[in-house]
Amino acid sequence: MYKVAVSGINAVDNPGPGIGIAKSLKESDLEVMVLGLAYDAMEPGIYMKWLIDKSYIMPYPSKGENLLIERLLYIKNNFGLDAVIPALDAELPLFIKNASLLENYEIKTFLPTNDQFKLRGKDKLPEVADKIGVKIPKTKVITSYEELIEATEKLGFPVMIKGLFYKAYKAYNISQATSYFNSIVEEWGYPVIVQEVISGEEINVVGVGDGKGGHFGLLGIKKLWITSLGKIWTGVTIKNEKLLSATEKFISEFHWKGAFEFECITKDNEIYLIEINPRFPAWVYFATGVGINLPARLLKAALGLEVERDWNYEPGKFYIRFTDDFVTDISEFQKITLKGEC
Amino acid sequence: MSKLNRLAINEEGFIFDPDTGNSFTVNQTGLLIIKALKENKTEKEILELLKEEFEVEEKEAQRDLIDFMEQLKLYGLL
Repeated sequence: MYKVAVSGINAVDNPGPGIGIAKSLKESDLEVMVLGLAYDAMEPGIYMKWLIDKSYIMPYPSKGENLLIERLLYIKNNFGLDAVIPALDAELPLFIKNASLLENYEIKTFLPTNDQFKLRGKDKLPEVADKIGVKIPKTKVITSYEELIEATEKLGFPVMIKGLFYKAYKAYNISQATSYFNSIVEEWGYPVIVQEVISGEEINVVGVGDGKGGHFGLLGIKKLWITSLGKIWTGVTIKNEKLLSATEKFISEFHWKGAFEFECITKDNEIYLIEINPRFPAWVYFATGVGINLPARLLKAALGLEVERDWNYEPGKFYIRFTDDFVTDISEFQKITLKGEC
Repeated sequence: MSKLNRLAINEEGFIFDPDTGNSFTVNQTGLLIIKALKENKTEKEILELLKEEFEVEEKEAQRDLIDFMEQLKLYGLL
């Protein structure tokens, strides 16, 4: 029995990937006990005992790495912990930085290196796109209002106004662009990215790189219906050879290690790279549902077990998210609130 | 492979493009035309098929064929 911690168990309207990961691990050929790492007592995963066997409240990543390591060691010593699959953007830098320390404590991870992690910066995308033979929308990296004006004059409206790692808004005029620029600077600081809008089909790939230039499987999809928060509600598997071979080139070129989501737009037979997320997306169960259990494969790689590499899936498989509810006792809430675990 | 050849088409007129994930529905006229195009039939041959299958005049068949082919071009399928 492997005891594996998973974060992102906030199965809410902007869901984290944790529940999809837990579901995949439970459906794998490994015997897995899933430990949920939560940041709030209201995260639904805490109470979903059929998927998350035990949950722990974690210190916020902003509190620093020492508290995180301490908490993980507490879990290891009191309950047992073989591996961690972190799934939230804010945690990843801490886990990546401390991967070898955790390894020394016999807590396994399978994460990208720090250099690979930096590739997700939107200022790095031109370099990535160039190396793997895809395009990117015309992009300006700016640090002032004057540069914003200049960039919008060059690119024309509408434009995307983006933070280096997070947030993206579509602006149709200079007053919207200014307001989004200010809001990004206030929250995330400089630089801000101004990008041409490419109108085409949004397509994505989820996969796990083996760190040596190969991978443990890929799945290409198109999001068919998204919520007002931009989250997938229905999707379909696709086999776009250009997209999949660009993704394989990305993995081999950068020796990507661990989970990733590749977000692209296809227009006039060209692929435009929009974003790289260095973790599983919240829809990762889609891969498991079509026979490519990527979370289980990542876990096997972390544990040093033999990992499957087949990934022959059918295009036209349909993904549907739905809402559900259940009832439990308030004593569960009491336990997680008072003891920080339940 | 040509764009039309990659399409998955069923007898009810549901068409799925595995490259882009787009799906379309077509009526029986559209279905006949798209299948004929996949079989590399010429426009003249398709017109004959339309006239025969739907008992329509040359002019109407021609209009339907041109309209439909324009739609295919619009969706990037031709």
